[in-house]
Amino acid sequence: MSTSQAIYAGWMEIANTTVDDLARARAEEATLEALVSQYASALYRVAYSVLRNAADAEDAVQETFLRVLRHRDTLDEVRDQRVWLIRIVWNIVLDRKRRSKTRPETDDVDELARVLPSAGLSAEQFAAAAQHHAHVLSCVDKLPTKERQVLALSAFEELSSVEIAAVLGITESSVRSRLFRARNLMAEMLDHARSLR
Amino acid sequence: MNTQNAFGSNSNSTSSISVAGAAQDAETTLRLIASLPAPEGLENRVIAGVRSAPISGRVLGWPALLNPAESWLRTAAAAAIVFVIVGGGWGVYSRIQPDNVSASKPVAGATAGFSNAGAVRVPQTLPAPVVVQPAPIQTTQPQAAEPANNARGKIVPGKHRDAKHVAGNKASVQASAPNSK
Repeated sequence: MSTSQAIYAGWMEIANTTVDDLARARAEEATLEALVSQYASALYRVAYSVLRNAADAEDAVQETFLRVLRHRDTLDEVRDQRVWLIRIVWNIVLDRKRRSKTRPETDDVDELARVLPSAGLSAEQFAAAAQHHAHVLSCVDKLPTKERQVLALSAFEELSSVEIAAVLGITESSVRSRLFRARNLMAEMLDHARSLR
Repeated sequence: MNTQNAFGSNSNSTSSISVAGAAQDAETTLRLIASLPAPEGLENRVIAGVRSAPISGRVLGWPALLNPAESWLRTAAAAAIVFVIVGGGWGVYSRIQPDNVSASKPVAGATAGFSNAGAVRVPQTLPAPVVVQPAPIQTTQPQAAEPANNARGKIVPGKHRDAKHVAGNKASVQASAPNSK
């Protein structure tokens, strides 16, 4: 084999490496698509529970998977992909929420009236229900941050207290104590609001 | 459904609702929101967004013949780079002669050391404090004694003492002269 043939053989190996890279990229893409189809809905609900805006929640889900794409090399090291993804989207929505603090409260009512199920309710009942939920959510917003976060995540039935602790990066006992405090505070606030009416 | 439960609890008389019921009411609302279905086509939109996202460029692999895993090849490549950089620098340095470097002319009027940079001292506009001259001291010595001193000439105390000393020496010489004779 001459030198030039050897060099060409070497370049042929580049082609093989490129083929391997392409195959790996396709495998990563397939993995990502599987993650999207499996967890996009759950991530959307988590995002919506904080942002309370459909478009913002969808953007947050999109950004979550873009981050996953960016760190796809570490995907194999993740033990629980669901909790990992929820943690990512949780951080994203908290960041977005922090940046858009000036959103008026009436947006919540309008958004809730748009998305809440209205089957079996008259127009007046539906409007009153939407108003009530918006009031409850405004009380939730008045909770301290730690308690509010635990309460919001505890509403997801698929998340156990251990998983909530993993998402928030705290211990399970802290989750329980914060949840207890949050429930008490919510009860006080709602009871106080009712007594004023 | 949850909405109807929440609505029903809201439409009932509010006074009968306990604290625990209020907390449950809040959780009902949060659960209702948490169970809202995702919009249709969300997965497709997310996948399309991920596909259209820019992916970082791939690095071309080395040919097998020039595999950089070989340590000697890496050393040789590093040495070649160093040789090219140093040789190029020396070539540029050797071509530039010091005569070509134009010396800057000194600024006209500039003197050695620091200059005042055109700064002019401006005197204080407020009136300066008036210095009061001390009153002349009244001397108690009579004015007539001075001409006598002036007549004799000023005698410096040291000189006066020397004169006494010289006179004493003369007296001692006169006293000791008979003995020496």
